[in-house]
Amino acid sequence: MLNRILLLICLTVAWPAYADIAVIVHPSNTAAIDIDELNRLYTGRSSALTAVNLAEGMPIRSEFDEKGAGRASAQLKAYWSKLVFTGKGTPPAELANEAAMLEHVAANPDAIGYVDAASVNGSVKVILTLE
Amino acid sequence: MIKFICAAVVASAVSSAAVADVTINGFASINAGATTGSNESLYGYDDKFELKNESLFAIQLQSDLGDKLSVTGQLLGRGADDFDVDFEWAFLSYELNDQTRVSAGRLRTPFFKYSDFLDVGYAYDWIRPPQSVYGLGFANIEGVSLYRTDQLGRMDSSLQFVLGNYDSTTSFSGTEIDAQIDSIVGATWELTQGSLSGRVAYLVGETTFDTAPVQLAPGVTLGGLFGTLEQVGLSALVADLAIQEDDSSFLGFGVTYDNGDWIIVSEITNIEVDNSFIAEQDSYYLSVGHRFGSFTPYISYEKDDNTAQVDAYSAYQSTLPAQLFVPVKGLVDSQAADNDTWNLGFRYDFHPSAAFKAQFTDQDNQLTGDRRSLISVGIDLVF
Repeated sequence: MLNRILLLICLTVAWPAYADIAVIVHPSNTAAIDIDELNRLYTGRSSALTAVNLAEGMPIRSEFDEKGAGRASAQLKAYWSKLVFTGKGTPPAELANEAAMLEHVAANPDAIGYVDAASVNGSVKVILTLE
Repeated sequence: MIKFICAAVVASAVSSAAVADVTINGFASINAGATTGSNESLYGYDDKFELKNESLFAIQLQSDLGDKLSVTGQLLGRGADDFDVDFEWAFLSYELNDQTRVSAGRLRTPFFKYSDFLDVGYAYDWIRPPQSVYGLGFANIEGVSLYRTDQLGRMDSSLQFVLGNYDSTTSFSGTEIDAQIDSIVGATWELTQGSLSGRVAYLVGETTFDTAPVQLAPGVTLGGLFGTLEQVGLSALVADLAIQEDDSSFLGFGVTYDNGDWIIVSEITNIEVDNSFIAEQDSYYLSVGHRFGSFTPYISYEKDDNTAQVDAYSAYQSTLPAQLFVPVKGLVDSQAADNDTWNLGFRYDFHPSAAFKAQFTDQDNQLTGDRRSLISVGIDLVF
């Protein structure tokens, strides 16, 4: 019973996410990416790499919106709605979880994504860490 | 935003061109308002609280046809039109390269900074963009647009050229009339660096408004007045007044500062329709907002200054009989306007896909001394 309550608390309470975020690319990718370029990739202003996002509601998504894409989630959504409803752009595709993200980036030489730094494995290359 | 992705899973990003992805997005605004005083009206509201006037609902379908070709259609129903659904946008887009896109079909005319997403309330903080500037009466064109983005050093540049025409109706002094703007040619250029962005837009066209049914006084139409003037040999005066294939221009400047906390926006516009009774229209607004997490209060000031084209009739003052001169002068003078408008409001992002807004508007007509106030509230959604 206690376990269930704990689980419920864990699921319902917004978990404070102070994790480091690892920005990941395919191991063959030799590009150097700085935070400005990362902002550009995640706001559709650069298409040098194909950015992918974690689904809304995933623990590090809102943290990444702020640090990686450079805007709070609601602002970012308002920004994308400007592009989407004018046919000028499409937001990065969303993946359901970190496992799907790692798999996607490992399989696509032009992909760029991110996961919790603790989740990184050898199938991808970390090019930037957001603290 | 919910996406229904047919046939292809995004995860396999490099897919064959044979499968078409159809993306469906939508947005909606449910707005309500009422003026504070009886017999006051503003932006389609009167003193009875109502929900229809500024509410809208839209679905957008975008299909990637492969080989850089896509088709976009936006079906929109406005409460003001009884939610009759119409294609607000319908265009084909072809990506010439990563930076350049050509679109053809029904497009939004890029007069203003917020023109492209006027209907998407979620995209801005106000209940409605400042009407002193944005209250033009026609938003779309049928035509072709070339949109190009560049990176100039640390600056982002977006350049748009547009060619087309408008052939529909517009509301004029409360009467719905046929309106046509032919040979529209325009360019807009926006530069953004960090928090700061600047924009310029210049468009020209040939305007024709069928103003004949417009009532000057009970039983007196504009068509009737022009007919009488022509009968007494004053075709030249009619030509100076009528809106008939008249050269028209739109010039707009905009500046935005948005550092994530502060958001400051200003636009200045000038509109002229040569050789017509339409006043020269100078408008601007300045809006200052501050984000406190999901709460964004703002204050804005708008000015609408329309100068009557008195030159159109001044030469006839001594020659024209009073029964003709008075209505001509009345017509031209009635186009003058001088309104000061203040808005105070806030946006509250209470949900990841929805915002609640409230806005108080106070408009002061400097010519008549009339003052009117409006309270409006609304919810904007994207999905």
